[in-house]
Amino acid sequence: MANTTNLSTDKKTAWGGGKSPFSVSYGKLMMWIFLLSDAFTFSSLLIAYGFIRYSFPSPIENTIVKPLSHVAENFTEAMNKAGLFVQDHWPAPELVFNHFPFIHGIHLPLFFVSLMTFILIFSSVTMVLAVEAGHRMQKKEVANYMLLTIIGGAAFLGCQAWEWTTFIHEGARLYGNPFGPRSFAALFFIVTGFHGFHVFSGVVLNVIIYLNVLNGTYEKRGHYEMVEKVGLYWHFVDLVWVFVFTFFYLI
Amino acid sequence: MEHMDHTEHLEHTETPADMKSKIWNTFWILLGLTIVDIALYFALLSTHSMLKNALFIVLGVVKAWYIVGIFMHMKFERKVLMYMIILPMIFVVFFIALMLIEGDFTFHLRW
Repeated sequence: MANTTNLSTDKKTAWGGGKSPFSVSYGKLMMWIFLLSDAFTFSSLLIAYGFIRYSFPSPIENTIVKPLSHVAENFTEAMNKAGLFVQDHWPAPELVFNHFPFIHGIHLPLFFVSLMTFILIFSSVTMVLAVEAGHRMQKKEVANYMLLTIIGGAAFLGCQAWEWTTFIHEGARLYGNPFGPRSFAALFFIVTGFHGFHVFSGVVLNVIIYLNVLNGTYEKRGHYEMVEKVGLYWHFVDLVWVFVFTFFYLI
Repeated sequence: MEHMDHTEHLEHTETPADMKSKIWNTFWILLGLTIVDIALYFALLSTHSMLKNALFIVLGVVKAWYIVGIFMHMKFERKVLMYMIILPMIFVVFFIALMLIEGDFTFHLRW
């Protein structure tokens, strides 16, 4: 008889007993494990970038163009002539990513990508506020924050589309570019593209969750855990951007 | 199955009562760190050293900690979950070290 009592107490803490030893639901745990595997994928891509970047000499020092100074329309050509963009030196990110929508002829290094970073951080904040409102079962609040998150995600994707368009207009291709080694643009497209695809998937998931919130699906269910699960994914996308930003633009 | 469904939503670790202010604090920290990142980028524009790279990576890891810890709620979860997710990242650190050494060799073979 004593054995049965022991068994029943053990059951309380084991999977078989219907209680997770991690104190989180099955779905959330699986989301964490998926994110871990996705983190490995992104790490591989970024390590490939690190390896290739490290096997090339550092960018040539730019003493010509100062931030906020006026630049000509054919900036890339000028940089080619000035010897700042050469095939065997990695290009300086400040000279490649210096465009801003609707502003022409001014050297604005990294301004646009910083804006993109802020947009993504902010959409992460609205996401976590939606989760927080979900704990309080405030349907309307959850819906509003979800909508803001969707807008943030869409704005980020729009920014990225603009950045890609500008980059391609200047001659960047998967097989070559006017800035430096071939692998520079190829890596940029693959890594930011893979991240952008994650953002896109996140926006799609957020839209589905948003519609479910509006329909009252989670209110009927009695909890907003689905918002938390998709929230985990969304924060992960933000997390990856922190490292993409660090490696592609800062280093 | 009924039993499982019932427990599913009961199982989550306590969220601190002042979660909202924690969220906004984290936001300001992330914003501040990103601004520090950009400021450092311009301040150290002409220097190229592993130390500078390490500085940016450390800042990135600090930001990652705030995102994972507060936004993803990891700080308030059970330690076992935290270790399960964070410890495997040791392989990534190992991989980075390995590939940077390889990159150095490739550099010397090329130039």
